[in-house]
Amino acid sequence: MSDILGRRRFLSSAVLGTTATVVAATTIGAVAPDAIADPKLDVEAGAPDPNFVEGRITGIVGGLLMVTGSDRTINQIHLTKATSVWKLRPTTSDAAKVGDGLYARGVRMPDGTLAADAIWLNIVNLQVHITSIGRSAMHLDHHGDRIVGHVVAGTTAAVYNSTPAVSDLSLLQVGKHAQIIGAWRPDTNEVDIATVYAAA
Amino acid sequence: MAPPDPRAPTTAECSWFCCGAAWGPCGSAGGGACGNCRSASRHCAWPNTSDNCFAITRPDKCGDTLLRRTCGHTFYVKNLCGATEIGVTIADCGPQTDLWCGERSCCSGNCATNRLLDLTPSAYSAIGNLSSGIMPVTIRS
Repeated sequence: MSDILGRRRFLSSAVLGTTATVVAATTIGAVAPDAIADPKLDVEAGAPDPNFVEGRITGIVGGLLMVTGSDRTINQIHLTKATSVWKLRPTTSDAAKVGDGLYARGVRMPDGTLAADAIWLNIVNLQVHITSIGRSAMHLDHHGDRIVGHVVAGTTAAVYNSTPAVSDLSLLQVGKHAQIIGAWRPDTNEVDIATVYAAA
Repeated sequence: MAPPDPRAPTTAECSWFCCGAAWGPCGSAGGGACGNCRSASRHCAWPNTSDNCFAITRPDKCGDTLLRRTCGHTFYVKNLCGATEIGVTIADCGPQTDLWCGERSCCSGNCATNRLLDLTPSAYSAIGNLSSGIMPVTIRS
């Protein structure tokens, strides 16, 4: 419990802009989500998670994201120098754009805003079948919907049979199933592929 | 093999899935097999929620004999390399275990085999990083 209280104080200070806190956050780098210590069963099983937000960015003011949830809930999310940001790859908060979809995890401030520990922009996790493979893209069947998956040089990696990720995609096969972690291109049926998991 | 879903924890691989109102390719996901699934709630999918579900997921093909657990059942889940335990309730059928028989995930030398659970983004991100796509966990009822 002391860890989460400390984390809450840290993020509160970061949102409030305490100089010493921001310097400290920059020095230690972003805190990965799996390093966050929550108290036991901080959220009741099956219940909505008050420290989690999903939706699309409808406005950005400085380090504050205005987010409209898919259920129309309105949220405001503070980004700090300690916020871990992912958009196809680990990146910085200026990668956030209006129209992006997101998932965010953080700490609720007294005013109802969320101080973000981590945000994932446009992230998708798709169970697909590969219908065709080209040099720079592959076509995917996602529960009957066609998805175009773009291969991003220097980023896209493949994990075959639990082995370490490699850039070689040559073992992917048309007709086989795969799992795609990628970044959606907003308002399209296209994604940029970060990692493809497949059986070789 | 003793059926997983014991009072003592068992290990498995775990991924995440979206459900309920959603953006992007998740927009057509719907409320899942139980009708109430939400990405922002602490929900999960289990491969043996019904006969119809089991016929799709077929964990038995991977050698896993899973107990029947239906909508609303609570599991407690922990990252194999984490200290935080979360509670989740079944809200959907999945994952399709038989597509990934023998797959193994490890962290810090601790490994788990076969996909027996999917978590919503809310639940997964409470104990892991969504960008990892899959992680080893312990599961108990």
